[in-house]
Amino acid sequence: MSLNNFSELFADLDASNSTNNKIEVLKSFFLSNKPIDNSWAIYLLTGKSNKRFISGKYLRNLFSQIYEYPQWLIDTCYLKVGDSAEVITLLLKNKTTSRNKKLSNISLNELLSKKIPELSKLNEEEKNLEIKGIWETLPEDNHLIFNKILTGTFRVGVSIGLITKSISRLINIDEEIISHRLMGNFKPSIDSYEFLINKTINIEELNSKPFPFLLANNFEDKIFKHSINDFQFEWKYDGIRMQIIKRSGNVSLWTRGQELVNESFPELVEKMAYVKDDFVLDGELLVWNFKEKIAFDFSFLQKRINRKSPTRSIQIKYPIIFIAYDLLEINGRDIREIKLENRRIELEKYFSKWHNKTENNISDISKICDLISPKDWPDALTYKEKSRENNTEGLIIKKKTSIYSSGRKKGIWWKYKVDPMQLDAVLIYAKGGSGRRAGLYTDYSFALWKDQELIKFASAYSGLTNIEIKELDKWIRKNTIEKFGPVRSLKPEMVFEISFEKIQISKRHKSGIAVRFPRITKWRKDKKINDADSLENAFELMKKIS
Amino acid sequence: MRIKQEDLIRYKDGNLYCELANIWIDPSKPVKRALITHAHFDHFTFGCEEYFSTYETAIILKERVGDNVKIKTFDYGEEFKINGIKISFHPSGHILGSSQIRFIFAEEKWLISGDFKLQKDETCKQHEIVKTDYLISECTFGLPIFKWDETNKVANDISKWITNSPEKTSLLFCYSLGKAQRLLNEISQTNFKGNIYSHGSIYKMNNCYKELGIDIKDTIKIENKKKIDELKGSLILLPPSLSKGSYLKSFKNIQTAFASGWMTIRALRKRSGYDKGFVISDHADWDGILEVVKKSEAKNVFFHHGDSESLTKYLVEKKSINVRFFEEQI
Repeated sequence: MSLNNFSELFADLDASNSTNNKIEVLKSFFLSNKPIDNSWAIYLLTGKSNKRFISGKYLRNLFSQIYEYPQWLIDTCYLKVGDSAEVITLLLKNKTTSRNKKLSNISLNELLSKKIPELSKLNEEEKNLEIKGIWETLPEDNHLIFNKILTGTFRVGVSIGLITKSISRLINIDEEIISHRLMGNFKPSIDSYEFLINKTINIEELNSKPFPFLLANNFEDKIFKHSINDFQFEWKYDGIRMQIIKRSGNVSLWTRGQELVNESFPELVEKMAYVKDDFVLDGELLVWNFKEKIAFDFSFLQKRINRKSPTRSIQIKYPIIFIAYDLLEINGRDIREIKLENRRIELEKYFSKWHNKTENNISDISKICDLISPKDWPDALTYKEKSRENNTEGLIIKKKTSIYSSGRKKGIWWKYKVDPMQLDAVLIYAKGGSGRRAGLYTDYSFALWKDQELIKFASAYSGLTNIEIKELDKWIRKNTIEKFGPVRSLKPEMVFEISFEKIQISKRHKSGIAVRFPRITKWRKDKKINDADSLENAFELMKKIS
Repeated sequence: MRIKQEDLIRYKDGNLYCELANIWIDPSKPVKRALITHAHFDHFTFGCEEYFSTYETAIILKERVGDNVKIKTFDYGEEFKINGIKISFHPSGHILGSSQIRFIFAEEKWLISGDFKLQKDETCKQHEIVKTDYLISECTFGLPIFKWDETNKVANDISKWITNSPEKTSLLFCYSLGKAQRLLNEISQTNFKGNIYSHGSIYKMNNCYKELGIDIKDTIKIENKKKIDELKGSLILLPPSLSKGSYLKSFKNIQTAFASGWMTIRALRKRSGYDKGFVISDHADWDGILEVVKKSEAKNVFFHHGDSESLTKYLVEKKSINVRFFEEQI
């Protein structure tokens, strides 16, 4: 029954814009399905399974071949729909009406742990026949799920936070514990689900996992009312936020995106393993200019992010550093509940111990985050303005008495970004350029989130290099949903950092805001569309300015 | 290729035009004589000297735009002559009164499909297959991804959608003329037995349909917003124009859906901002268009209003009939 149930779950989640609804839907799904299927469901919904068994193009060609359908017609449909799995699902509606229903009761587990992995063992001809067989014996309502898993494009508007909340409500255990359990390499199995819903909390099992990250909110004016001495000031580095976990001698590097990245930064793992103490550090990974003592541009870091087992020469060309902000655990003692100012003392104490060693010194790959000490708020502003000079994005302001909780807790940490104002937005439309840029799509429109919807908020023409323009143009042509004259609507996938000079209310725009001199300042290939800013962020930004 | 200068029906200034009769079909600007296929506003413009339509179309139009228009009305199948050209209206199944228009001149038959559908719809006359030499067909949904489910299946889905959320008020957005009445008719045959409310614009059309002898379920006109609390578990039909803006703010605890053929595509569904999309259309799907092309026995087919390129190419590859691209003549 459960693949049908999962298809229904997908449709229900897809058809709701309300967080509470989604949580209820998830809860009742978990209650009425087997642990193993629940485990797979979580695996799929949290986007941990983007393994592509066949490409979208392969799927379209296969359909064309099996059902003698003109390839160009499928491609035209694809342009309209923007997703191969969905196009083929829609076209299958015409093809698989009367058939045997052999697979009508297949479980999610059977499909994911047997049927689909077995495909990779077959030769091409057998594989094609098998896919055809599945299409024709699987109930129509399950085609979309099957095609999406096959092409590694399963995505639905459910965040890991929603899963966390629904499990937390299901078993009445704090969200922090659940999100801790959900972090990192979640492998679908009965055990992993049982572990997730286990009502007793087992410390050892949590050993290699990072703590949920505490995130900073956008700056609020009301902070000015407080004494400057209540806060700790740090530079806001533009790198990869990371926790280094060393427990029982084992080192794990976890990004904020919950990826274990040991393989990408082996030199850091190696050096950290030398440290005699066990610890959990929160900090930022950067490619560092050791001579100038500032960070290199984010683009340098991009050269390292997706490269596993980098060669020695890459390691030398793009030397990394871990800048430690915070100490969360030391030799098995969780110190997140003690005040930031006291954690800082501990952090300094241990770093000076680790750096003062004559052998296996870690000072060439990690440092403690320097603190800034503004005398008063105007002085803090001056520091903020200077942040461009040392390649940082502004300031991070932390309440000295704060404990390290999780998520974007209000009233503890703030990011105070340097002007120009910036928002991360999703590319949704492109228009052909003219003159020197004729034949290329160079005029772009960007959108911000409003609930589940992307609302256009600005258009920008400048900021990309010629190479980037060409690359983006190619992508645009492949990812068009619809053409309206010279304008193409695009698959929401690309995130850009948009900078502007002024932001104000506008009744003329659907978004309700207008920005002045918008321009692209960074192509955030490291960000997913869910990481883009919301209109709410934009309004907050506006409030802050006025 | 294109419709040639000497063709009986031409494409001129963005509209279909028969020069010999000096008559336009659904013109978008004022002309002397206008044939109106049906009463949707995008097929009507003010200021023409004389309009021609079916009786039902005329009644609905007058209800919408006032009595101040001069419309000559005809029954389905009734032939009339202008400059020696025989013209007649035939049911197109799109909405009440909607029609295809046939022209006969010098033994040559031309048929303009109008907006049409083949699916069951008890609120209007079933589409009629009309044989022709030349067919000018709409192709709003001219791609094979469009394949409509049976109407009662969609109606049952809507019914389930409402009854599964008894704590909520369900707002279903749909075009106020045609789609709304068809939905009412279908939903009243499902398990949903709660109250149904109509927005004024829909309510007006419901009455108009009733006056023309169509059986439409009674609904409550949604007037003052005081009754909000009583709306729990009921269905409200609203025109799509109200989906954005402040109107919705007066409701509490709602779920929204849009009923349209475009809801086939997930990206459009997501972008539209409604919670849910129900795929139901008053236009023909891909198979429907192909069926009409085939059964009309037309030797020449032109497509407009939609993805004409794909259909044309598809039929050209099949080599069964002479399909010509339909382009603007300047």
